[in-house]
Amino acid sequence: MAQALEAAPVGRYRAKQVVRSEIAKVVTLRSTAITLGLTVVAALLVTGLVAHSDLNRRGGYSFGWDPTQTSLIGMIPVALAGGVFGALLITGEYASGTIRSTLAATPKRPFLLATKIAVTAVLTVVFCEVLSFLCFFLGNGILSGGAPSASLSSPGAVRAVVFTGLFIALLTLMAFGFGVIFRNTAAALAAFVAVVFVLPLVMHGIDEHAVRFLPTNMLTNSITATVNQGPGAEVVSPAVGLLLMAVYAAIALVVGAALFVRRDA
Amino acid sequence: MITAHALTKRYGSTTAVDHLTFEVPPGVVTGFLGPNGSGKSTTMRMVMGLDLPDSGSALIGGKPYPSLAWPLREVGALLDAKAFHPARTARGHLRWLALSNDIPLRRVDEVLDQVGLTSVAGRRAGKFSLGMSQRLGIAAAMLGDPGVLLFDEPVNGLDPEGIRWVRLFLRGLAAEGRTVFVSSHLISEMALTADRLVVVGRGRLITETDVADFVARSGGGAVRLVTPDGTGFMTALLAGGATVADEGGGTLTVEGMTAPQIGDLAARGGLRIHELTPVTGSLEDAFMELTQDEVEYRPSTMPNAAGGGRMPDAAGVGTMPDVADVGVRE
Repeated sequence: MAQALEAAPVGRYRAKQVVRSEIAKVVTLRSTAITLGLTVVAALLVTGLVAHSDLNRRGGYSFGWDPTQTSLIGMIPVALAGGVFGALLITGEYASGTIRSTLAATPKRPFLLATKIAVTAVLTVVFCEVLSFLCFFLGNGILSGGAPSASLSSPGAVRAVVFTGLFIALLTLMAFGFGVIFRNTAAALAAFVAVVFVLPLVMHGIDEHAVRFLPTNMLTNSITATVNQGPGAEVVSPAVGLLLMAVYAAIALVVGAALFVRRDA
Repeated sequence: MITAHALTKRYGSTTAVDHLTFEVPPGVVTGFLGPNGSGKSTTMRMVMGLDLPDSGSALIGGKPYPSLAWPLREVGALLDAKAFHPARTARGHLRWLALSNDIPLRRVDEVLDQVGLTSVAGRRAGKFSLGMSQRLGIAAAMLGDPGVLLFDEPVNGLDPEGIRWVRLFLRGLAAEGRTVFVSSHLISEMALTADRLVVVGRGRLITETDVADFVARSGGGAVRLVTPDGTGFMTALLAGGATVADEGGGTLTVEGMTAPQIGDLAARGGLRIHELTPVTGSLEDAFMELTQDEVEYRPSTMPNAAGGGRMPDAAGVGTMPDVADVGVRE
C-alpha cells in the first residue's frame, strides 16, 4: 500500500487499549466534568447546610442523633447524580450512534462490556469515596463548632463513610446496567428513579417488612455510624445491605450483558 | 477481501437480507447497488459484526469481524455519518478511536488533514454539517490505514465538489490495492466510481458483475450526437453500419458505433460536431430493468405532468400498509 502505517503491533487489542479509549471518552466530554463538578458542589452544600442548621440545637441532641449521618447527608444527591452518570455512560453512546464506532473498534462484546464496567466501577468508587470523606470532614468540622461531632476514630465512623461511598458506586453501576438494558436515557433513568426513589413509597403500603431490602432503606442504614436504630427496628445490617446492593447491581449488569452480546447495535 | 455466504437477516416476517452470496475483491471499487430498503445497510452492518445474521456468514479475509486482532487497522467503515457523540470534538472522537487500537496519535492529525477538517478539529462534532460529518466519518475509517473499507452512501449530503472528492478518493484507495466496498442508490454515481457491482433488490442478489458488462448487457452503448450536418452524418453512419435514430433538432442517437469511431468518421468526412456524448443513462436502464419487481417502496402511481406528485387516490391506498410493514431499517 502506498502510505501504509508501520506494521500492526503483535498480538491483538486487549484490556489496556479498551481502558485507555474508555477513559478518553469520559474525559473528552465536557458534560462529564460539569456533572461531576455540580455533584461535588451539591454534596458539600447539602452537608454544610444540614450541619450548620444542627448547631446549637435548643432541645439538645437525642440518643439517636448521629454526627456521622448528619455529615454524610450530602451523599444523598450524589445517589441521583450517580444514577444519571451511570446510565448516560452507555445510553449516550446509543443516542449518538457512538456505540457502533465502539463496537467496530473493539468488537468482542463480552470483553468490551466487562472492561467498560470495570472502568465505570473504578472511576465511581474513587469519586464516591473521595466525596464521602470530604463530606465527613466538612460536616464534622462545622459540627465541632457547637454540637457533638465525630472523627474517624469514633466507633463506626470509618465504616459508615466507606460504605456510603461504595453503596452509591453500586447504585451507579446498577444505573449503568439499566442503561445497557434499555439503551435509552429516559427509560434507564425512569427505571433508576422508580427503584431507588419511588419503590420505597409504594412498598410501604404493600409489605412493610420488605421495605428494609430496598436500596434506599439500606443506604440510610449505611450512612449512619449507629447500628440498630431503636429496639425492634426492622433493618438489615450495613454489611448485609451493601452485599444485597451488590447483588442488585450484579443482576442489572448480568441481564444487560446477556442482551448486549446478542443484540443488534 | 470480503466474502458473504448465504447471508440472511429477518426482522419479524420481513426478510431484509435473503441468502446473499457475493465477493468483494481487493484492488477495485465494488459498488453495492440497490433501491432503498433492499438490505444494503443491513448487509454492511452484518459484515461489521454490528448486526448478527440469522444464518450464513460474512467474513473479512476469511475471519468473522469480531475475531480481528486490530479491527481498525484491518477494516475502516463509514456506516453512519453521525456515529459520534455530538459534544465531543472531531479530534476527541478520533483520539479515543486511535487509543482503542494502539494507532499512533499523529494519525489523528494526518487523517483530519486528509479530509480537510484540520481547521475545525477542535469544534464539537455535533455542530458539523452533514458534509463535514461525512468527512469525519471517512477520517475515522482511514485512521488505522486499513486494507478493507466499507462506505455506506458516502456522498449523501455532499456538495458537487465533495462528491467528486469522494469519488477520486475511493478510486485512489482501490488503486493502492485496498478492498473498497461502497453502497449507493445513485446509479450515475456508481457508473463513475465503481469497477464492479453487486446489485441487490429486496435483500436478494440480482447480479454480481463488471460495470461495463452490466451496461452492455442491457443493450446500452448508444451515443448522442448533435450536429448541423445531420444529412451528411446520417449517410456516413449508415454506411459505417451503425443504427441511427433522428431525434429532431439536429440530434441523432447512434447505436453500434462508439464515440471515438464517430469522431474519426466526422474528421474524415469534414462533418461538424456540436456535441458527442455516450449515453450514460443506460446503467440506469439496466438497473431499472433488473430491479423492476424488487423495489420495496413503490408509489402506486408514477408522477406525471398532469398530477405530478399527488398522493395516491383511495384505490391506491391499498398498497400503503406494505410500506408501513417493511419500514424496518434503511
